[in-house]
This record gives sequence, structure tokens and C-alpha cells, in this order.
Amino acid sequence: MRGSALSNSSKRALRLLLPVVGALAVTPAAAEGVMDTLQMQGFVSQGYVVTNRNNFFGPSSDSGGSLEYTEVGVNASLRPRSDVLIAAQVLSRRAGGDGSDAKPKLDHGVVDYQLPTSPHRTIGIQAGRFKNPFGFYNQTRDVAFTRPSILLPQSIYFDRTRSIALAADGLSVYGAERMGRGEIHVQAGAGWPQVDDDVEEALGLDQAPGSLKAKPSAIGQVRYEHNGGRIIAALSAANVRLRYDSRTGGPGNGEIKFQPLIFSLQYNAEKWSLTGEYALRRFKSERFDVPMLNRDDTGESGYIQYSRRILSDWQWFVRYDVLHADRSDRSGRAFEDETGLPAHTRFAKDLTVGLQWSFHPQVLLAAEYHRVDGTGWLPRRDNPDVADTERRWNMLLLQTSLRF
Amino acid sequence: MPQLWLAVFLLLLLPMPSATAETTDDSVALIAHPNVRAVSLHPNSARAIFAMRQRTWPDGQAANVFVLPDDDPLHARFSKELLNVFPHQLKMAWDRAVFSGTGQAPGRVSTQSEMLERVATTPGAIGYVEKGGADARVRIIELQ
Repeated sequence: MRGSALSNSSKRALRLLLPVVGALAVTPAAAEGVMDTLQMQGFVSQGYVVTNRNNFFGPSSDSGGSLEYTEVGVNASLRPRSDVLIAAQVLSRRAGGDGSDAKPKLDHGVVDYQLPTSPHRTIGIQAGRFKNPFGFYNQTRDVAFTRPSILLPQSIYFDRTRSIALAADGLSVYGAERMGRGEIHVQAGAGWPQVDDDVEEALGLDQAPGSLKAKPSAIGQVRYEHNGGRIIAALSAANVRLRYDSRTGGPGNGEIKFQPLIFSLQYNAEKWSLTGEYALRRFKSERFDVPMLNRDDTGESGYIQYSRRILSDWQWFVRYDVLHADRSDRSGRAFEDETGLPAHTRFAKDLTVGLQWSFHPQVLLAAEYHRVDGTGWLPRRDNPDVADTERRWNMLLLQTSLRF
Repeated sequence: MPQLWLAVFLLLLLPMPSATAETTDDSVALIAHPNVRAVSLHPNSARAIFAMRQRTWPDGQAANVFVLPDDDPLHARFSKELLNVFPHQLKMAWDRAVFSGTGQAPGRVSTQSEMLERVATTPGAIGYVEKGGADARVRIIELQ
């Protein structure tokens, strides 16, 4: 994967896209009107992370903290016809790890066609690399301006296996049905998820000779919005499938299934919002020769968050976020007895308060403080020796974001 | 103390500003480019178009959306009274569309006169002005 300008999965997405873009090619006369619809937008975010114990996004527990949290994105969109949208975004992101992680990747790249609409119905289809509709925030999880906080609740939007949650290369169908005071939105997609080194690290396969490959997977979401979005309720489900191809001396070929189910609920008032999400995450790995790699756990996570807009450009929030890696072993003690690794690596309870200030429409300043019990979502790459992690830790995050 | 309670009671009797449909429906007008064939729009369509979720007028013509700044009082009235959504929800809908590849951002204008100008000169355009602020260059669109 390293050394080429685009990852293999990016090339696959382009192969899916190019024929469609070609078929839409417009005549020179129409091209000028089409170029009027071209939009380009982007953002840059720089974070600063300080922890008293454990590391998050770089050497944050060192005296100087960590600046290894940077997000840069540029997107472009075009409407070649009234019913077609072409959109793509390139994202460079570093969150700890090494500098090469910041290599730009295709975040999404789609051709979107909408069928003729009626006041009560919209139906469309997206082909290419589409963002996964996963909970309230996954589709724009790397864009500070769309997040209520610097870090999304890590129990659900955790970083350690983020690559498989981001986007899929394939087809997605969406529809909206508007009736009375409510709207139902449905999206269903099928395609290949992306698999980066983070997943191998999380599974403990990063040192093994072999590689993880994506298999055709499915994702779907049903969302109900009541009274102009005063109340929003959503159910998201996915069946993500991976295959491990082992080489000589490896743990044997294996199959991995990740089946998360997320319930999301939000109440929006003019000045405040109350948001809650709850997830059951089934993780199953089988057929490995090494018995310890064959697991079937269901993780459980959820958070509740109150955010309040004050004046016109300030917002503060408070959130309580809980993760259990295995709901049948919430304390992690059974895991500790079995493996000798600390029980606190199997859960995390995070109380967060934070503040956002957007003194200009294109600038966002944010600060937040986390008080965490457990290391359930602590990225392994920042803390290679899990036996060396501390159960209770605090974290301060600052972030500056610009959009253009 | 009784005077205070009396004052509160009298205040409650005053008509609530912007709370009822009759007093506010006519304060903001939807406007469109003259080549738009629609003369009226279903509130659902208006909301879907301004949320950038639906890209065409009901007859299939491309819709070009124009909005005033988020903190403009007329934009707040337009969002709440005509679309029945809060401005912060519209803004979130636009950001999600733009950064997830599901839609584009609306065109931005900074004043009502610029709004009139852009809507009058952009085919398929839709926007809004204070009622009485529209002129012959644009067409008024009724909400059904």
C-alpha cells in the first residue's frame, strides 16, 4: 500500500466511478453551464492534546503535550445535469501514529442520481465510494464543523478501527418519504469497506505474516425526523466482513464479522439539543489456527449529551460516554483472569465538558476536558504495551479549525 | 409584590410575538427566477430544497438555492416560520451534505438587494425576501 499515490481501495473506487463519469460527459456547449455549478470547499483543523497518564494521538503525556492531531480536507462537487451530482473529497489525517498516516486518501467519491421527485418523496442512488450512514455523525466524523465536540464519543466513533467504518466502495440507495409532520429517510448500501493497519493492530494481527482483506459488506440506516427535526430517531445496522490471508508461520486463514447495531435519538430545541446513542457491537472471528484469535464478543456502548447554544456563536456541552468491550464481562475481570492483561483495557467511562466558539463563520475554536476511567478505546499505537496503561486518566484537548 | 404579579399577568395577556401563524405567515416571501414554472410549492418540497436534500423543482428543473447569512434576522424568521426548522439545523444539514458527498451548499448572499439580484439573474433560482421587498424581476412563490 505504501509507495503508491493511492491505496488499492482508492483505485478500486476510481474504477467504479470512471465509467459512470464518462457516460455523463457533456457537450462543450453545455459545459459552461455545468462549470457554474462547480463548488469547492475545504477545512484545516489542528488539535493539541495533553493527558496526565496514557497517550492519546501522540506523546500527549509528555511535558509538551501532542500536536499530532491534524485534519485537512478538500472537496469538490458538480451538477452536470439537474438530477445528477458528482462529489469527491480528499482527506489527510494524522492522529498519533507516524507522519506517513497523513498521506491524502479519497474520503468519498460518488456519482449521485436522483429520480424525479414529488413533494412527498425523494429517491436516489450513489455509486462509488460512499460514506457509511452509521449513527448521527459517522458520515462527517473528520470535519470539526459538523461535530458537537473535538472528539466524537469514542464509545461509538472510536478511532482504533475507524478505517472499516468510514466508507464503502459500491452502491448505495437512499430515499425520503415525507408525510404530515414527519419524514422517513432510508439508506442501504452494499460494497467493500476499507481496511487499514488500524484493524490489524486492534486484532493483534499487525505483527503476523498475512493481510486482512475486505469482503462484500452491507450497511443500512432508517431515520425518522419529526416536525422539522425537533425529534430525530435512527437505527443503523451493518454487516462488515473481512478475510485474513495468512502466510507461512502465520495464525492461519480466518474470517471476521463485525455487526454493529446503533440506536440514535435526538431532541432539538432552538437553544439546546439532547442526544443519545446506544450501540451493540457484535464481533466474531473464526477459523484461525490460533484459538485465542477466535472470539465472539458483543460490545456495548452508549452516551448521553446535552449541548447548549449561548449568544449566537458559543456552544457548550456535557457528555457521559460508556464503553464495554464485552457485555458479558463488563468489568473485564474474566478477561484479566484469562489473559493476564489489565481489566481496565476492556471498558471506558468518559465524562466530558467542552466549549466551542465560532467568532467568524469560517473559524471554530474548541476546548474540552475528559475525565476517563478505563482504557477501552485508547489507541494501541499510542500505547504499545497495554500492561503499562493506567486505569484513571484525564485529557485536555484544544482545537482550531478553519474552513474555506 | 401584588403589583409585580399583576404586571406578570398582564404581560401574559399580550399577544405572543411570532408565536402564531396568522401574524407571521405574510412577513417573508418565497421568490424565484421568472423562468421557474411553479407558482406554488408544498412546504415539504420547500424544506427539502432549502435543506439541499432535493436538487430540483417538482417539474425536474434544477433548483438554485440562495440564502442570507445564518445570523441575519430575516434568515432566522424564514427558517422558523416558512420551513419550520431552526437555523442551526439548516446549517448542519448543509455541512453534512457538503462534507459527505450527498449535496451542495446553498448560494450565499449578504443583503436582500443582493438576494433579489441573484434570484432575478439565475435560472431556477429560489430565495426569500421580506414581503413587499420583491419586485417585478422575480416571481413570488406561494406555499401550499
